[in-house]
Amino acid sequence: MFLINRKMLSSLTVVATLAGFSGVATAADSWVVNADESEIEFTGTQLGAEFEGEFESFNATIVFSPDDLAGSSVEVLIDIASANTQNADRDSQIVSPDWFNVAQWPTAKFATKSFSQIAPGKYEAVADLTIRDVTREVILPFDLEIEGNKAEAEGTVTINRTDFGVGQGQWSDTSQVGDPVNIKIEIEATRP
Amino acid sequence: MKLRSTKQIFGTVTKSFHWVMALLVVSVFSIGWYMDLLPLGMEKLEWISRHKSLGVTVLALVTLRVVWRLSEPTPEELGKWRIERLAAKAGHLGLYLLMFAMPLTGWTMSSAANFPVSVFGLFTLPDLVAPSQELFDTLRTVHWLLSWAVAGLVSVHVLAALKHHFWDRDATLRRMLPGKYSGKIKDS
Repeated sequence: MFLINRKMLSSLTVVATLAGFSGVATAADSWVVNADESEIEFTGTQLGAEFEGEFESFNATIVFSPDDLAGSSVEVLIDIASANTQNADRDSQIVSPDWFNVAQWPTAKFATKSFSQIAPGKYEAVADLTIRDVTREVILPFDLEIEGNKAEAEGTVTINRTDFGVGQGQWSDTSQVGDPVNIKIEIEATRP
Repeated sequence: MKLRSTKQIFGTVTKSFHWVMALLVVSVFSIGWYMDLLPLGMEKLEWISRHKSLGVTVLALVTLRVVWRLSEPTPEELGKWRIERLAAKAGHLGLYLLMFAMPLTGWTMSSAANFPVSVFGLFTLPDLVAPSQELFDTLRTVHWLLSWAVAGLVSVHVLAALKHHFWDRDATLRRMLPGKYSGKIKDS
């Protein structure tokens, strides 16, 4: 058993602080997401027609600096049960075992592995996306605008739901519920 | 064979509208009740899909039909009494209203459910209202009540046609049947 007592914790703090001060001046900054102004939306197709929904609750840990992409990282944990497609029947289906199986896998995880700049204000994140028990690499292109201590990022990525086992059994048929799902993120964050 | 109707007989266009739509209305109605009984699954979605696509087809056809009807003479009702002819007019008006009201409440209900209507997978109709559970519940009840009105009025329509054919022995049914009608229209 490894226990951290208060004394060790304060030594750790000292070490961390020293490490912080001795680090490179351009170390990536931590950002705090403004939940009210941020959204993770998705568009799926059902019976050939598109419908929109959003994940109302998610947690993002963002360390990002355009000057230090190598030291930047973003991890987002999405609360699947917070999915809202403005249809109670469909929302109750989404969390059921045939779809996301929230009882077993309540969150989806998006964790970046690397960033690259493709144009001024335009970036690409290579990330591992985990839904249910499946992890796949996705590439999320996004626009980023940083003004003072406020940043706004917007990007979209299209994934195939069946790649992640979303839609088991009869639902793996994509004729009525389409395979591609477009995910749109809009994040507003501030650095303290 | 004449495309346009006259004051006495129905033209080919109106006859085609009548029978194609009769088939459609019976199909959409039957599918509606059937899909409602199915448990949630792929099959239910497939039937809902067909119900919506055929429903939109009814809406498109009834619109064309009304435009066509207004542009040509309408054959006179053959009932003996004025009240009977008035009842026929009211019944037909009711059928027209229902052929608009059913698809429109269905379409609005789909919008309220955030479940937009795709027509045979070819294109998607714009949403008529913003998603709302409350509105959806109300419209579902209205759609369901109207389906009973359809069942009632269509039954009266069919029974009236049979009554004219077998009881009054007039041309009401025969002049709507496919092919050329050459019998007499009225005893006079």
